[in-house]
Amino acid sequence: MNTPTSTFSLALVSLFAALIAVLGLIPKIDLPLGVPITLQTLGVMLAGCLLGPKRALQALGLFLMAVALGLPLLSGGRGGVGVFFAPASGYLLGWPLGAFVTGAVMAVMPTGTPRQSAIGAFVASAVGGLLVVHICGVVGLVYIANLSWQQAAIGTLAFVPGDLIKCALCATVVHTVARGVPDWRFGG
Amino acid sequence: MRSLYSDRPTWLHRVPAGLKLLALALLGMGLFAIPQWQVLALVSGACIGIFISLGSATRHTKPLMVGVLVAGALVAGFHLALAQPVLAAVTVMRLISATLMGIALTLTTRYSDLLHVFEWLLMPLQKLGVRTDRVALQLALMLRFTEHFFVTWRRLDEAYRLRTGKSGGFKILAPLTIQMLITARRVADALTLRLRRKPLNL
Repeated sequence: MNTPTSTFSLALVSLFAALIAVLGLIPKIDLPLGVPITLQTLGVMLAGCLLGPKRALQALGLFLMAVALGLPLLSGGRGGVGVFFAPASGYLLGWPLGAFVTGAVMAVMPTGTPRQSAIGAFVASAVGGLLVVHICGVVGLVYIANLSWQQAAIGTLAFVPGDLIKCALCATVVHTVARGVPDWRFGG
Repeated sequence: MRSLYSDRPTWLHRVPAGLKLLALALLGMGLFAIPQWQVLALVSGACIGIFISLGSATRHTKPLMVGVLVAGALVAGFHLALAQPVLAAVTVMRLISATLMGIALTLTTRYSDLLHVFEWLLMPLQKLGVRTDRVALQLALMLRFTEHFFVTWRRLDEAYRLRTGKSGGFKILAPLTIQMLITARRVADALTLRLRRKPLNL
């Protein structure tokens, strides 16, 4: 049965996967203090906040499937099955889970006003897009790069400040979306 | 958008996609089950040999190879700094073998053939209510709109540059996201109408 809801989900999941792909094509962005960041992991946070847990999981799953099919969609033009065997593949495989958790947290946060939505988005992305993705990344580093848990945890800490900036960026985008598309249901 | 698939025919192009994916999965598991560096050295040699046998089909894989080598060097350097040369060798051999075979699979398997295998693998999810028959449509939509949103990004950036003299950077992320959400609603409306008229047949 092709209901409006199911076709809306289908379109939203596909188009958000496209947006994540575009975030990988965009060159690195310099923040005001000159700190360069890539935007693809921001897409994971935004997916959870804007689509909700199930659709975010599907969007990231679809995106990773396209990568596995050989499309050069990851930042730097990377793609193919080989990227899933790299030391950082734990982070990559953690994206769908991270997006799901971000969406699940966002779904229980108050989103009555743009300000509340932004605060909710920051908390949700910190839990899902940062904590969950980094835990998956650490597991990958331990099993693929043979690092100890402690070494992997120290290694991943170097990326936490940059990801916290992305959480703030995600909150800013959600704040603008809440004002620009007032009837949007955050967290699905 | 072009896939990383290579049109230059090799012997690996003739092997069915499902068989190659199965071999890669078994290799991936096997590599991590083998602790002896001597056995891993033999396996790595075989993987490098297979990759070299693909000849000119591997010509455009330089960026991927550089990424693998840099990651391998970093991991090896880390283990060597901790005086663990055997662990460094084992880790780098696993990494290079699995990645080379992953790249070989991508180079020698058509996008559509791999998609058929993935759809077959996802079939059990239909019992959980997941519409796996729509994967091809979703991938097609995704690729169509990747180019569309990239053009939108460039237009927004250009407009911002004309107004301020600087690149838009993260400031045009929100407008891009809003355009995506509005486009998704329009695409959903169009799909609803089309699918009502003609049931999805993939």
